[in-house]
Order: sequence, then C-alpha cells, then structure tokens
Amino acid sequence: MLRTMILIASLALAGGSLPVNAATKAAPHATAPAHVVHAIVIDKMQYGPIPTDVHAGDIIEWVNHDIFEHSATARDGRFDVDLKPGATVRMTAVAGTTAFFCKFHPGMTGTLVVK
Amino acid sequence: MNKPLFAIAVALGIASVAAVHAQAPAAVSRAPAINDAQIANIVYTADQIDITAAKQALKKSRNEDVRAFAKEMVRDHAAVNAQALTLVKKLDVTPENNPTSESLSKGAAAELKKLAVLKGAAYDKAYVDNEVAYHKTVNAALSGTLIPAAQNAQLKSLLETGLKLFQEHQMHAEHLARQLH
Ligand SMILES: [Cu+2]
Repeated sequence: MLRTMILIASLALAGGSLPVNAATKAAPHATAPAHVVHAIVIDKMQYGPIPTDVHAGDIIEWVNHDIFEHSATARDGRFDVDLKPGATVRMTAVAGTTAFFCKFHPGMTGTLVVK
Repeated sequence: MNKPLFAIAVALGIASVAAVHAQAPAAVSRAPAINDAQIANIVYTADQIDITAAKQALKKSRNEDVRAFAKEMVRDHAAVNAQALTLVKKLDVTPENNPTSESLSKGAAAELKKLAVLKGAAYDKAYVDNEVAYHKTVNAALSGTLIPAAQNAQLKSLLETGLKLFQEHQMHAEHLARQLH
C-alpha cells in the first residue's frame, strides 16, 4: 500500500514536471529568429510554384492536395519525403540547389534553391 | 500486338470513330456519341482491369520492382475509381454499360488467363509488357475520345488528371520493361 502510494506520488511528480519542461523548452523557441515557412503544393499530378528566396533553416512545407500518394525525393538523396493523399509534411531547408522528383511518378520534377 | 489488346484497341477505336461521327452533325444535334454515364463506366472498367491485373501480379511475382509497380497501380487506380464513384453519385448518373467497356472487360479476362499460366521472369516480362501496351491504349482513348467527349467539367478534370497519372504509369512500365529485357 505504501509502495503504491509512493509510486502514485512519483508518477504525479513526473507528470507535474512535464508542463514545466515543455514551458522551458518553448521559451528559447519564442525568442529565436522566426523561420519562414514556404509551402510547395502538389495538385493534379504536379508540383506547384517552387518558392524563391528560401534560406537555410527555413521550413519547407510539402502539401499534397491530390488523391494520389506522391513523394518529394532529392536526386542527391538529401531528402525523401513521403506524401500520402492530403498529407502536409515539413522539413528544414538546407543550403544548396537540389533537383527533386516523385519516386512514384518520375515525370513530376522540380528544383529547390536554398541560400 | 496480342489478341486481347487488339480487341481493346478496336473497342476504343470504335469509340473514337463514334466521336468523330458525333462532331460532324454538331450543328444539328449536340448530343455526343458517348455520354458522361458511359464515359464514367469506361474509365471505371479500365481502372478495375488494371487493379485486377496488379493483384494477380502481387500473387505471382517475386520481383521487388514489379511488385512495387503493381502496388502503385492498385493504389493509384483505386484512388481514381473512388473519385469517379463520388462524382457519379454527385452527378446522379448511373454508369452505363456500353460496347467499349464490355469489350475492355472481355479483352482483359483473356489477358489474365494468358498471364495466369506464366511463371517467374516470363510472367514478369509479360505482365509489364502488357502494362505498357494497356496504358498506351487507355491514354490514347482518354486524349482522343473520352476527354473531348466529356460534358461535365468535373468529369473532364478527373479524366485529365487521370491521363497525366496514366502517362506516368506508362513511363514507369516502359522503364521497368527495359530493366527486365
Ligand atoms: Cu507522384
């Protein structure tokens, strides 16, 4: 009985400490320079306009508006994002010029330039 | 060209001839040779055929690339058909059987039988070759007959996206065929 009580107490403590952790984690985020989010929308079997003026550390948001599964796969292998129908997936932009394609429908291609 | 495919080509050819006929007396009557209900049925049938062939491939093939291709066919064609069914309900049309879809089904049944007796690499090659030919035929029908004849804008748009998708499948199948030869 005592053991159970201690266990519950420690669980409560652990649980109670979680929001504190989350708060301290969130704090530096709020003060860090905001990273711009750039969306690339796939619709009707093609990648929409590719954003320009993307900087390293920015967020690339892949949005699949199609009813088909697609991917955003870098030719040099630096990323391979699987995009289920309707999915939105984010990744951090890394400096460089990367040609990408859909591994299911290789006629779908694009080039991402990150400064 | 093998016999079942020839039958399919002939069936779709009939459809395109019919479409040409429809264009001639356009001034008199605007009714297309094939209506949206028939087009929906043809597309649904064509998709279903490719799904069935892919499911057979998943049972028979041990080649990883062929299996990945077959899985993609099941997934993509099923997505088109789900959309087609939603559209058919929304438009309140009943898909109509017609000579083209009947002939498609007949040709496909014969092809499935032919493929059923093959094994291993011979099967893989025959399946992929047939996929190349089948997508070519369906794409020709889509661009030459079905898309021009479609009246409803949403149906037309679905067919146009379908054409892009199936052109990708054709390229994928051609790539695979070169690998297997
Ligand atoms: Cu794709």
